[in-house]
This record gives sequence, structure tokens and C-alpha cells, in this order.
Amino acid sequence: MRIRLAALVVAALVGLGGCKPHGAVRAPCPAGERCLEIGNVTEPVSLDPPKTSGVWEDRILGDMFMGLTQNGPDGLPRPGMAQSWDVTPDGLVWTFHLRPAVWSDGVPVTAGDFVFSLRRLMDPKTASQYGYLLYFIRNAEAVNAGRAPLSALGVEAVDARTLRVTLTHPVPYLPQVTMHQTFYPQPEHVVRKWGDAWSDPAHFVSNGAFVLKRWAFGDRVTVVKNPRYYDAGKVCIDQIDYYATGDAIAAERRVRRGELDINDDIQSNRVAFLRRPDQIPAYVHTHPYLGVEYLAFNTHDVPAFKDRRVRVALSMAIDRAFITGKLLRSGQVPAYGFAPPYTADYTPPPPPVWAAWPIERRQAAARALLAQAGYGPGHALRIELKHRDPPDSALMAPAIQADWKSVGVQTDLVQEDSQIAYQDFRLRDFQVADGSWIADFNDAMSFLGLQQSQTGAQNYGDYANPVYDALLAKADLEPDARARAAYLARAEQIMIADAPVAPIYFYVTKDLVNPRVTGWVDNAVDLHRSRYLCVKGAAGSAR
Amino acid sequence: MVRFLFRRLLVAIPTLLLVVTVAFFMMRAAPGNPFETSRKLPPAIEKNMMAKYGLDRPLGQQYLTYLADVARGDFGPSMKYQDKSVLQIVREGFPTSLTIGLSALILASALGMTLGVVAALRQNEPADYAVSAVAILGVCIPTFVTAPLLVLLFGLKLGWLPTGGLAGPESLILPVTVLALPQVAVISRLTRAGMIEVLRSNYIRTARAKGLPEHEIVFRHALRAAILPLVSYLGPACAGLITGSLVIEKIFNLPGLGKNFVVSALQRDYTVVMGVVILYATLIIALNLLADVVYALLDPRVRLA
Repeated sequence: MRIRLAALVVAALVGLGGCKPHGAVRAPCPAGERCLEIGNVTEPVSLDPPKTSGVWEDRILGDMFMGLTQNGPDGLPRPGMAQSWDVTPDGLVWTFHLRPAVWSDGVPVTAGDFVFSLRRLMDPKTASQYGYLLYFIRNAEAVNAGRAPLSALGVEAVDARTLRVTLTHPVPYLPQVTMHQTFYPQPEHVVRKWGDAWSDPAHFVSNGAFVLKRWAFGDRVTVVKNPRYYDAGKVCIDQIDYYATGDAIAAERRVRRGELDINDDIQSNRVAFLRRPDQIPAYVHTHPYLGVEYLAFNTHDVPAFKDRRVRVALSMAIDRAFITGKLLRSGQVPAYGFAPPYTADYTPPPPPVWAAWPIERRQAAARALLAQAGYGPGHALRIELKHRDPPDSALMAPAIQADWKSVGVQTDLVQEDSQIAYQDFRLRDFQVADGSWIADFNDAMSFLGLQQSQTGAQNYGDYANPVYDALLAKADLEPDARARAAYLARAEQIMIADAPVAPIYFYVTKDLVNPRVTGWVDNAVDLHRSRYLCVKGAAGSAR
Repeated sequence: MVRFLFRRLLVAIPTLLLVVTVAFFMMRAAPGNPFETSRKLPPAIEKNMMAKYGLDRPLGQQYLTYLADVARGDFGPSMKYQDKSVLQIVREGFPTSLTIGLSALILASALGMTLGVVAALRQNEPADYAVSAVAILGVCIPTFVTAPLLVLLFGLKLGWLPTGGLAGPESLILPVTVLALPQVAVISRLTRAGMIEVLRSNYIRTARAKGLPEHEIVFRHALRAAILPLVSYLGPACAGLITGSLVIEKIFNLPGLGKNFVVSALQRDYTVVMGVVILYATLIIALNLLADVVYALLDPRVRLA
């Protein structure tokens, strides 16, 4: 018995030892082809564009579809299906001239496909979550609510290669929106034939650089080069796998082993470590991102927050440089305004004067403001900060609690699952909320619209300032980009001075990219279309 | 025997109905809905989404519709993954979970029973203590600790095995091992306890007196009776293992069913949660029944009626 057991153990060890150290276990790549393995954070909810709303879906869809405009390597818009466009002087009617191009099944892409797709997006039966983004198209809201027929939507095909879009108000940033996933065309002839099942890999047809091959749920989505793409000659990659890599640390290991070429996320507190010379500094990419982390004060239910001095004092007392520099440490930028300074076509207003003061002076001023408002040693302010559960929020909250303690404010922390927290914020079941906002499109309006009084539930602080609303409305009607930006900046300055929210920091993109991937350009929207990427080394050497 | 099976299957129906009912109303009682995101949806859009999935109707009516659909074998579409039906999601995830779970179960049974028998035969000797130590460690150290440690050693330091993903049989070695370890511990303890008890019984003494060879006594007479408690344990344990493990699937990035269970509950994907609950409940019932049958086959004293 003892001998037999010993033999078993030896055999097991020999068996394991017999596994020779091998290279990465990459997905098989056909001989002579170049394959890319991308970690894409989470599973797409759908590959039918109007049913999606996540950036992780757009990373896949944007490789397969091309809207009227498309992201360049730098993330900025450049002509896509539209070779050129004209705008009427009032900024209300846009005419797009389409390039000759075909779907991956050889059928020409027409203006009619765009009309069909936009109507499908607004059709109440499609139940698209993101349709509201295009409510600036004439009659869009009425069509989406079922109050007007689909044909009332302000889009028409003048001829097969001319598309006319009519708006309710000028939208100078329209070329930013026409590259968004809500604007991707769907093949009318295929959707009419297969209905909702058209996005099944067996029927799928696209007009971009790649086309869907397989979707193994929970594992990966595989796309292959579309030989009928109008610019196929310039596309280097033949096949891409996108993996749902929810665990950033596990994905980091797979990138290190070469199983993945790219992962679209790094855990914040790993960035500094990975940048050490003995780690993988050349893989780590960070870049300012179009998102802001902020606190909102419940001015509706908390009497103390109805006093502007209290809100300003609390905002002033937060040591943002400590949070970004010592806690998060991956290049986040302290925020004293709401729209990031790198927002397109925008010059933010100067930050409040106290932003430049040392933290001790700020906290002294904050104590003085609180005293004026009637809060001090004898009558301490006690509040509750409700925050979401991602690691970065959980790190930040105790730091803010400590900052506020040093100005004599007692803070209780309540952590909640993100989804539940957001619901509580909307229902105003909070005192201070930690909000997060990622822009839908690269324009200041995508940020500032949040504090508009008509925004309702998502204006967590219930900010209602007629001057602010009027300036944003004026900006909405202004066709001149520069004048519009000036209105927006003035509005932001007024809002920040009123402090319904306390911005904390602007986000950064965090990507792990194997240095053998070429063509990668860090950008503010964190979109890196695979048609611009290539891999070093001979084709088929990916294993 | 046939009557026994028939009766048990008949009892299974109200049990399942109870599980479905409780799960249905608990799910709906949780705050939020499948369409909640960080973005507030305009009322028109929210109305469209609710109408599409029938969530705008009274809860009682939704429940009855759901029961009727399930009775017809229609588990509905996923509310989060709009391109997939619940059946598709289960069909795509189950084979991976089944492979890993069954492999872990076989590995754990083989290893655990061997260790248990060795420990029982060498009671209070060093081999016994060694097995006890391994078992206690196996039970105490959770998988989310063993998994990263094994990955660190075999995946990163030695580079023998892949750290995650599903590419070839070698990518199954680590997840199966991690999943099997705590089971090895439990199984070896159960086997040891059973063996010790049986080895002291009169019929084993008789067998020894008759001069039967030791291996025949151990494997033919003792083990058969000793593994009875194990059989009752393995039924539900098997259901748990083959429906997937969140921890294993997350750490090794495997496309199994375990992840869906937790993720869909968090995302309020009502139909997927219900589908997985029904699958899990059915498996528990079926495997418990199987355990009872095996029990009767192993132990001549048990009569199923």
C-alpha cells in the first residue's frame, strides 16, 4: 500500500513536471495571418447597435461598423461613410454625401440604410436605451414615445448617396455624435429578412473593417477582416478575439504571459507598480479621459446644504491632490471644474481662487465659512456620505471623511453596490453622493447638461439656477462654435461658484498594451480602432 | 423501487414550484431593475423597455405568465443580454462548468478516498496525521487564496500552465485542482471516519478470522459500507460543483455558468436568475434521488419503497 501510494505521488509529480515550460497559450491563429487578442472588460449585452449602450460594446462594434464619421487613431472624428457634408447657416439641416461602399455581403450601403437604422433606433418597439442621445433630430422624441409615426423622424434619403438630417436646434458637435454607436448603419435588406436575429453570427453583415465570425458567450467574440471594406488594403490585422476580462488582475497576468495583447483596464493601485523598471513599464498607457468623479450635495432635503457657504466649505476642504497623488496614483487630475480641460472646442473657466491655496489655508477658510453658517465646535455638522463600491470610490471616501473631520464636520460613510447607489441618488435618498460621469460625446454640453434644472433625477444636487439654464439654452441655439463655448464656460463658472457639486478628479484611461502592437495612440475617448493597429513580427508568428 | 422513484418525482414538482415562487418574488423585491444604469433613462425610453419585457404589468400577472412559459419550456430572453435567450446562455455555459465540475469531483473522490482509506488503516500513525493536516488545510484555505497562489507558482514562476482562459486541456488543470482541493479534504475525512467505524464491526472481524486477504477485506467488504455517508454528501456537492463556481470562473476567466448566477443577480437579469435557479434546484433534486438509489444498491439493509 505504502509503495503504491508513493508510486502514485511520484507519477503525479513526474506527470506535472513533464509539462515543459511553454509560451503563452494564445487562441489559435490561422497560418500566415495576424491575430490580435484584446481584453475588453465585460461581456457585450448585444451586437445589434441600437440595443447597446456600453463603451465595451462600441469597442467591438466600432471595428465592424462605420458611421457617417469615424474615430481617427487619436479618437477625433474624421470622414467615415460620409466623404463630406454641408450645413445650412442656421445649423439646422445637415446634408451628408456618402462614399461608394458595400456591405460585407456585397450589397451597396445607401442613405436608405441610415434612414432605416435611425428609425429603428427611435422605434419604441426596439426599446433602445440610448435613443435619447439623438433627441436633437427633429421629432425624435415624439417618435420614440410613440406619439408620431416613424416617417416623421427628421432624416431622409435624398438619393442613394445623399442623407439629409434635420435638427431641432443647432448641434455644432454633430460630427462627434455621428461616429457614436447610435449612428452605426444596419443593413436594411438583412434586418428585414431576419428580424432581431440578424445580428446572429450566421446572418451578420457589416460595413466596417471587420465582420462578426463567432460569439462564444462568456468567453470571446471573434471578428475577421472584411475584404469588402472600402479601405481594406490598409487593414493589417486579420482576426481579433475580444475577451470579457472582468478581473483586471487576472487580465494583467494574461497580458504578461502574452495570452492577451491588450487589456482595456488596469486596477488603479497597480499602475505605479507596473511602471517600475523591473516590471512592464512599456505596457502601461494612461491618458486624460473624458470623465469626472464628483460629490453631489442633497440641497433638497438637507437643510445645511441649502446654504451655499456650507457646500463651498466642504468642497474647499477636500485635498484632491492627496487623493490623486497618494491614493489612486495613476495620473488622475484634481478637478476644480466639471468639464475636463481637454474637452473638444472648449476652454474651461479659471478655477476658484482657493484651488491654488495650500490645503491648510483652504481648511482655515472652510472653518471660517462653516462658522459663518452657524456650524462650529459647539454645533458640529454631521453628515452622511453615500458612495459606490468600486475600489477607487472605496479608497477615496475615507480620505474625504478625514478632510472634513479636520474642519470639524462629522461624516458617516455608507457604501453601496453601484447600481443601488445610483438608484438612491436618483430618489434623493442620500445626503452627499459620490457621482461619476463619463461623457457620451466629446463636448462640454455632455457634462454641463447634468446640472440643468430640467435634467431632473440625474441632477442629484437639484441645482436650479435660471441664469445657468438660460446660458445653456443660449449655447444650444448658437451655431457659432466659439460663441457657444463662451456661453458654456460662463455657465460652468457660475455653477462651480454655487457648488451644488464638488468635483474631485478627472479620470484617466488605463490600458495595458504589449509593445509589439503598433499604431496605438492614447486618446481622451479611449477608443482605439483595430484597423489602425498592427503587430510587429512576421504574419502567423503570433503563437 | 419504481413506486419509490415515481413518488419522489411527484414530490419534486411542488418543491420546484416553491423554489421558483420564492426566487421570483425575492428577485422582484430587490431594489432596481434590469435596465438601471448610471444613466437615468428618459421616461419614454424606460416605458419602451418595460413594455418590451412585460415588466409594466402587475406582478401577479407576470408571475403567472412566467409559470405558463416555463411549463412550455420557454425560459424567455435574457433581459440584459438581448441577443441571447436564457436557454442559449445556459447551453453555452453549462458544458464548461460540467467538464470542470465533474473532473474536480472525480479527482477529489479518487484522491480523497485513497487518503481516507490510508488514514483509517494507519490510524493515529504519522500517515494519519499527515492526511488530517492536509484535510484541515484544504478545508480552511479558501479557493480564492489557493487559486492565485497556484497560478503564481505554476503559471508565472514556473510557466508550466496557462493562467486563465479556455484554450486546450492544459488550461483545465489549475481550475480543476483548485476546485477539487477542499473536496479532497471533506471526502478523505468522511472516508476515514466511515472506514474506522466499519473496520471495528463484527463482520470485518469475521472476515479476518476466515483468513481473507487484507486487500479483499478493505476494498470489497469495508469500503462499500464505509462510503455510505460519502454518497449522501456527494449528491448535493455534485450539483454545486457542476453548476459552476464564481470564484474559479472569475480568477481563471472561464466561460462557465457560475458567473452568470451571481452576475445576473447583481444585474437584476430576472429571467437568467430564474433559469439558473431552476436548473440548480432540478439538479439538487435529481442528484439527491440518485444518491438514495446508490445508497440502496450499496447497502443491502436499505429498502426503497
